[in-house]
Amino acid sequence: MHFVGFDNYASVLADSEFVGAWRNIALFILCSVSAELIIGFGVAYLMRNPFRARGLLRVVLLIPWLVSPIANGLMWHFLLDRNSGLLNFGLAALGLPIQPSPLSSSLALPVAMLTDIWRKWPLVSFLLLPGLISIPTVYWEQATLDGASIVSQIRHIALPRLRPLLLTIALLLVGDTFGTFDSILMLTGGGPGTATITPALYSYQKAFETHDWPLGVTSAWLVVLIVLIVGLCYVLLLRREVD
Amino acid sequence: MRAGINAMHTAQRIPGHWRQQKQRRGWLRTFLLGIAFLICFLPLAWAILNSLGLRLEDTASPPTLTGALTLDNYGEVGIKEPSFWVEMVTSAAVALVTTFLTISIAFLAAYGLSRSRFRGRRLLVQGFLVLSSLPVMAYVIPLNDLMRRVRLYNTFGGLTLAETAIFVPLALYVVYGYLAGQSREMEEAARLDGATTVQVLWSVVLPTTAAALSATAIIIFVLSWNMYLVPLVITESRVRTLPVAIGDFLTYDRDMDWPTASAGMLTAVLPAIVMVVATHQRSERFSLAPAQENADNLSQS
Repeated sequence: MHFVGFDNYASVLADSEFVGAWRNIALFILCSVSAELIIGFGVAYLMRNPFRARGLLRVVLLIPWLVSPIANGLMWHFLLDRNSGLLNFGLAALGLPIQPSPLSSSLALPVAMLTDIWRKWPLVSFLLLPGLISIPTVYWEQATLDGASIVSQIRHIALPRLRPLLLTIALLLVGDTFGTFDSILMLTGGGPGTATITPALYSYQKAFETHDWPLGVTSAWLVVLIVLIVGLCYVLLLRREVD
Repeated sequence: MRAGINAMHTAQRIPGHWRQQKQRRGWLRTFLLGIAFLICFLPLAWAILNSLGLRLEDTASPPTLTGALTLDNYGEVGIKEPSFWVEMVTSAAVALVTTFLTISIAFLAAYGLSRSRFRGRRLLVQGFLVLSSLPVMAYVIPLNDLMRRVRLYNTFGGLTLAETAIFVPLALYVVYGYLAGQSREMEEAARLDGATTVQVLWSVVLPTTAAALSATAIIIFVLSWNMYLVPLVITESRVRTLPVAIGDFLTYDRDMDWPTASAGMLTAVLPAIVMVVATHQRSERFSLAPAQENADNLSQS
C-alpha cells in the first residue's frame, strides 16, 4: 500500500464521464426533488380536512413508493417501450404516430426524472400530511374569516409551521436522489451513451465492472462529502428555528 | 370539544354563498385527488394487464388490448428464473430479521437518548438523520471488502447485520420523535414503586410506544424488502434476494420478455403493497415529526 495523495481525485475530476454524472445528478436533484416536494405538498394540502377513509387513502396513495426502485426502472423501461408501452397506447389513442422509446433519445434524462417523481411524490405527501393535520384548525378558520387567499394561507400558516418537517423530508429526498442507481440501471443502464449516468452508477461501474476500485471509492467519497455538506446546511437551518 | 363549539359558531355565521363555495371546493378536491389516484395506478394497472396476457395492438384504430386472460406468465417466471420462489422466501426472511433487529436496537437507543440530558443531544439525533440520508453507494465498496475480511460475505447473517446497520439511524430518529413527546409520569410512578429499568421498559414504555414501533417497523420492512445494492454487492447466489433477481431480468443476457418480466416484477412488489395496505390502521400512524404534533395538541387543549 502506498500513499498517492490526491492523484485519484485528480483523475476522477478529469474524467468527462464523471463530470457528466455530476451534471446529471445536479439537474436531477434540482428538478425532481422540487417537483416531488411541490406535488406532494399539493396533494397533502388537498387532504388536510377530514373526510371518510382519509387514513386509508393516505396509505393507498403511498403505493408507487412501495414499488422498489429496481422494479420501477424495469416497469417504466417497458411502459415507454415502442411495442408494449402505455405511452404508445396513449399516443395511438390520440391518433398520433407511434414513437420509439424516449429513453433512447435526448429525452432520456427528463423522462428518467419523471419516473422518479412518479415514485417519490407519494412519499412526500404521506410524510407531510400528519404535519398539516396537526396545525390547529383555529388558524385556518381565522385566515378564512380574514379573507386570506389560498396562497397566503399556505405562505403564512402552513409553511412556517411545517418548516422543520419540510427540511427533514428535503434532506431525505436529496440524499436518496444522490444515490439514484437501481432505477437508472434498469431504465437506461446510464445511456444512451452516458446521458443518464449518475455518480452512484459511475462508482458501481468503476468498482465492480472495470475493477478500478480506487476510482470507484474516490467518486463515492465525493458523494459523501456533498451529502454531509447538505446535512450541515440542514442542521444549521434547523438551529435558526430554535432561536 | 373546543373544535365542536368553533364549528357551531362558524356554521351560524356562514352566509349562503360561502356554503356553496365550500361545496364546490369539495368537488374540486375529489376531482384532483381522483387525478392523483389515476396517475398513481395507471402504470401499475397497465403492468398488471400485460402480466395477465393482454397485449397492445397499436395497428388498430382506436388501439386495443388483445389476448386471452391467463396466469401463464406467472408460471413462466418460475421456469425462466428457477430459484424465484426461493429468492422470495430469502427476501422475506432477510426483511423480517432486519426489521426486528433494527426496531429493537433503535427502540433501546432512542429510549436512552430521550431520557438522558446532555449538551448536543439534539445535534446527535439530527446527526443520525443525516447519516440515514447518506446514499448506500457511498459506503458499499468498503462494505464489500469488510464483509470478505470478517468472513460474512455471502451469508444471511452478514446481509441482515449490514442492512440493520443501515436502517437503525432512520428508525432511531423516528422512534426518538415519539419517545421525546411522551409524558414521563407513568415511568416515574413505576420507578417510585421500585420497578427496574427493564421492567419500566417492558411494561410501561413498550406498551405505550407499540403503535409507533409497529408503524416504523412497516416502513423499515419495505425499505429492506426493496433494498438492491447491498445484497447485490455483499452476497452471491447462496443468499439471493428478489430485487437482485429482478435486476437480472434485463442484464446477463437473460432478456426476459415483458409479459414474464411484468409477472415477476408484480410478484415481487405485491407483498409489500398488500402488507402496507392491509395494516393501514397501523401504517397510517407513521410520522416523522410526532413530537411537534404532540406539542401542538397540548397547546391546543
